[in-house]
Amino acid sequence: MDHKVPDLHISGVSTAPGGHYRQVTIEGVGKVEGNVQADDGCKISGIVTVRGDLQAASLRCEGKLKVEGRLSAESSQIDGYADVRGPVHGETLVLKGGMNVKGDCSLERFDAEGGFEIDGLLNAGQLDIRLYGKGKAREIGGESIRVRKGVQGAWKKLWQRMFPVWNPELTADLIEGDEADLEHSHVSIVRGNRVILGPGCRIGLVEYRSELIKHPAAKVGKERKTGDGSHFA
Amino acid sequence: MERELISKKELLDLTGISYGQLYRWKRKQLIPEEWFIRKSTFTGQETFFPKELILSRIDKILNMKDDLSLDQVAGKLSPALPDYEMRSSELLKRNIVSRTALQAFAPNDPDHTVYTFEMILFFYVIDKLLEAGDMSLEEGERLLETLKEFFPKFEGKACELVFVRKMGVSWFALLSMPTELFFEKGVKVIARLSLTEIIEELKGKLV
Repeated sequence: MDHKVPDLHISGVSTAPGGHYRQVTIEGVGKVEGNVQADDGCKISGIVTVRGDLQAASLRCEGKLKVEGRLSAESSQIDGYADVRGPVHGETLVLKGGMNVKGDCSLERFDAEGGFEIDGLLNAGQLDIRLYGKGKAREIGGESIRVRKGVQGAWKKLWQRMFPVWNPELTADLIEGDEADLEHSHVSIVRGNRVILGPGCRIGLVEYRSELIKHPAAKVGKERKTGDGSHFA
Repeated sequence: MERELISKKELLDLTGISYGQLYRWKRKQLIPEEWFIRKSTFTGQETFFPKELILSRIDKILNMKDDLSLDQVAGKLSPALPDYEMRSSELLKRNIVSRTALQAFAPNDPDHTVYTFEMILFFYVIDKLLEAGDMSLEEGERLLETLKEFFPKFEGKACELVFVRKMGVSWFALLSMPTELFFEKGVKVIARLSLTEIIEELKGKLV
């Protein structure tokens, strides 16, 4: 690129126009009017609203971020809370805290510690979810899906303050994956090659191709073994 | 002329691919969003696909993915029209478009006129309908105008052509797929063509 792309830097309380930037840094309370593109990355600490799409090579957010459009970042780390209208696109997303997405999420890796609510499809290669609050998605699909209750320890009190009312549980209409290893999940239909259901699972229907391992405390309505998936047409 | 659908479960059983592969291909946009058709069934929400399209697409992906990365495959499958161009004489020689069609719809173009892929596609579609005896030359002219005016508006999205006739009056429509369409009594659906499928077919013939 011939002309130099400017940086955007906000500290304190301010509003900035959207546009094409190299690096976006916001500390404090900031608002960006319109779509933002950050070639290098976007660093946010504080409370930030983007009135449009946010596109960045990398996103680092500490605090509260609201994106009123789509979010696409190759790698995102969100410590705090993010509210995105969606859809969300990226390679990896590491979440510590909470996230709310109105659309679909499509990621290669989704690592979540905390809680989330995704109104659409959560589609990721590797999903690793440790719940401290409520996790909700309409559909989850991917290669490997793992759901656990968050570790109890020194952080427990903090998490309980962030998510006071909910019991850590994942709810979804449908989960489909090559390997689905679930605990504390309330799902209507689970389909996969290898399905492992741990304590706290309440599943309406399980369809598996190769293996189903069930914890005695897992409640399963119906289970069905389907085509073994080893033949190629 | 109804399009046949296949459920996700049937598809996986038939092709031997896994849920993970299907979701990965969706993420990489190897399978267009519009092909995922959600329908309520007695077991709850199920996803269906247009059968012909998805089977040929999966076949292609499986064939290509040994030699190419998924991103490269995605480039090859992109719905955008390829920038092939071809001279009219070549089109005739290779039997892609008939002489009748070219003479009727492009009478003033000299033999060595170079046509874009889009134009070749239009001629090809018209030729198909003419040859099947479904359409008159005069209707072909109207179809060409319709395609010229509206097809670019789809910008590579899946597109379907509907050709109906009632009491001798005919009309054309371009629809974005997938869609369901119901007609009143007495309407005769003469042709329903998925232009997306035809593009794939034509790509195969041109290369």
